[in-house]
Amino acid sequence: MKELKEQLINRIKAHFPDITVENNFNYNRFDVSINKESIHSILFYLKDVMGFKHLSDTNCVDWLEEGEFEIVFIVWSPAEKIKIFVRTRIDRNNPVLETLDMIWPQLHTYEREFREMFGIQFTGLEAPDEFILEDWQGPPPYRRDFDTAAFAAETFFERPGREDAEDVREAITKLTGEEIPEFAKKYSR
Amino acid sequence: MSFFDLKGTLKPLTALKQFGKEPHTITYPKVSKEAADRYRGFHYNDLDECIGCGNCSTICQNAAIDMIHLEGIEGGKGDSGLRPRVDHGRCCWCALCVEVCPTGSLSLTKDYLYVSEDPDSFLWTPGKDNPGGKEKISFFSTEETSLNVFQRVPMTEIEGTERIKSFAEVVLGYSEDEARAEASRCISCGLCTEVCPDHMHIPEYINAIANGNDADAVRIIYDNNPLPEMCGKVCTRRCEDVCAIATRGEAIAIRWLKRYATETAKTADIIHEIVNPEIKEANGKTVGIIGAGPSGLTAAYYLALRGYGVTIYEASAKAGGATMYGIPKYRLPLESLQKQVDYIQSIGVKIHFNTKVGKDITFKEIYDHYDAVFMGVGFPDAWSLGVDGENAKGSMQAYRYLYMINSGEKVDVGDKVIVVGGGNVAIDAARVSRRMNAEVTILYRRRVEDMPADWEEIEGAEAEGVHIIPQAIPIKVIEDEKGNVKAVEYLMAEMVPDERGGRPKPVAIEGSNTIIEATAVMAAIGQMGDYSFMSEFEDKIKINRGRFVTNDKQQTTDPKVFAGGDAVNSTADAISAIADGFRACKAIDEMLSKK
Repeated sequence: MKELKEQLINRIKAHFPDITVENNFNYNRFDVSINKESIHSILFYLKDVMGFKHLSDTNCVDWLEEGEFEIVFIVWSPAEKIKIFVRTRIDRNNPVLETLDMIWPQLHTYEREFREMFGIQFTGLEAPDEFILEDWQGPPPYRRDFDTAAFAAETFFERPGREDAEDVREAITKLTGEEIPEFAKKYSR
Repeated sequence: MSFFDLKGTLKPLTALKQFGKEPHTITYPKVSKEAADRYRGFHYNDLDECIGCGNCSTICQNAAIDMIHLEGIEGGKGDSGLRPRVDHGRCCWCALCVEVCPTGSLSLTKDYLYVSEDPDSFLWTPGKDNPGGKEKISFFSTEETSLNVFQRVPMTEIEGTERIKSFAEVVLGYSEDEARAEASRCISCGLCTEVCPDHMHIPEYINAIANGNDADAVRIIYDNNPLPEMCGKVCTRRCEDVCAIATRGEAIAIRWLKRYATETAKTADIIHEIVNPEIKEANGKTVGIIGAGPSGLTAAYYLALRGYGVTIYEASAKAGGATMYGIPKYRLPLESLQKQVDYIQSIGVKIHFNTKVGKDITFKEIYDHYDAVFMGVGFPDAWSLGVDGENAKGSMQAYRYLYMINSGEKVDVGDKVIVVGGGNVAIDAARVSRRMNAEVTILYRRRVEDMPADWEEIEGAEAEGVHIIPQAIPIKVIEDEKGNVKAVEYLMAEMVPDERGGRPKPVAIEGSNTIIEATAVMAAIGQMGDYSFMSEFEDKIKINRGRFVTNDKQQTTDPKVFAGGDAVNSTADAISAIADGFRACKAIDEMLSKK
């Protein structure tokens, strides 16, 4: 399998010299990263020429600290029994990618989800604006800087009947008589 | 069409293949389909395993989990007594609560059907309201899948064979990156603060370290412990025994993190600068303190901050008490302790060294001169072995031996040392003797796992080549013709279970006498107090079973006199002494400010 993976990597590299490959998995997987301009060509090439006919999954990772989104396509070759993670990164502040649903029609659904949940725009994507969220006004909720707890606190009211809840730290200090100094409280949970 | 149609005859028989299959009809009563293997349905909580750390409640993004008191669950060491209650109207079954649960008591089940018109009935306490959930657990966390980090950042130490060449400090301390990584493992539940005798603000200072703010960490630590670097190196750290992470992994290295934070302040001046203590204006009242050990220094420091004139009388040449003279320097270097004492003196605490109360100054003088008195006199005497020949030359108290070595005196112990005992003093004496190039054997009457010494100390001693003979009871010290120690005779013991439910007792086996050669014998089987300095006050200040009788404010039977440390508490460790000192300070302040 190791040889087969090497062979496949070399074939891809011959056509896409810019890719970076990660091949330290001891099972039937390797990863390639490529710039967003070439993502269409590499996916077409993998599907139509190299036999990676099946799109197993598509995901998006929010690299908040690096200011980028990473889209990961997992493709599978039934003949070689190898899966490739194809990764590409786009600018988080201007997240635009051309639609890819002509390669695998099911990408249409994924793209609608990414648009709604991460705010990534796919040029050429023909679909209604709303996907799962109804009347959503706020920022895309799958972004890491979306504060789920604050949203929940703001959106859902507190039902009565939960007033007996206690804070663990406070319950312990009450028991022991520990006095936490005021300036230290910001470090309490 | 032929007369005999083979196909038409055989084809209907294919219907026979349906014979063994279940019919597509609805069974009655209706049985719901079983959910998938990792299905995330209603919560189940093992109430006995749960320690009430509240991590589930903190992580919940929907504020669906409350921590509440349940009837019959008291809590105690390492258990807050609270248990999670889930509002299933808010829960979205993301299972983050399960993935951060340190004990693994919380899980999700295959149950997913619940219909009710009453919205209040969606408020459940998992485990209590669905005891049957245990059989249906489907989503749970293991040590591998949990989002907690169960492995401690390892501490760098000097290797065993290298260590015994000098008194250099064995533990090298965390680097900044290591400390941040270790501090980030903490879930800030605070269960540790309950068992800390001094109730230090552990989650707060660990969080400050994790956030990269070491100065805040130092300030938080100094809030109720003026000797934190000492504690950071040698504390008995009961906090780590109850750490929530320790239920399935290695406890947060609370002691090493305190050490890291306090070591960022390299000198007494820097401590002063960071802590920036607020010293109240002198109120004209004075407090006399006997003994500059951990309890005396603590009481002195916090009383001085509150504006009292504090004077300590110390019999030895240096402050620190048992931490100065009892703990070997490879565990607590002199400079480290000196730095902390310097800082305490820098805020105005006066210490009279080489002044033994009862000899250089009477107790009455101190009693009459000050508005209040605090005694942190410790246990200066040691129990003797009580066997024949124990007065031979070369037979000594381990505690005295450590005292002499720590004061810089030379003690000749020869090349074969026998230490009797299994506590930290025994291990310390053994490891110090190793550094004096002696072969060391420890005789302990119970098993190794029964030793009261710190397990890290026992491992350290073994790594340095100390030989431990467990279940050995010494019965005789054999002298040579010059009166020097020549050998020790001991009996092997077997462990007999205690009928009253206590720990197993060692019982000597007749005829198992063994003789081991020795040039020195050290007894480390316990210490006791010496209260002769009180002379006429001995009737007024009550002593019971060798310790001062005090109330919960450290006040003795004489309202003006307070006491703390080994001479009061039975735990006999530095952090209990510090706690005593801190409590006494508050009580003295309360008493004197009323006048």
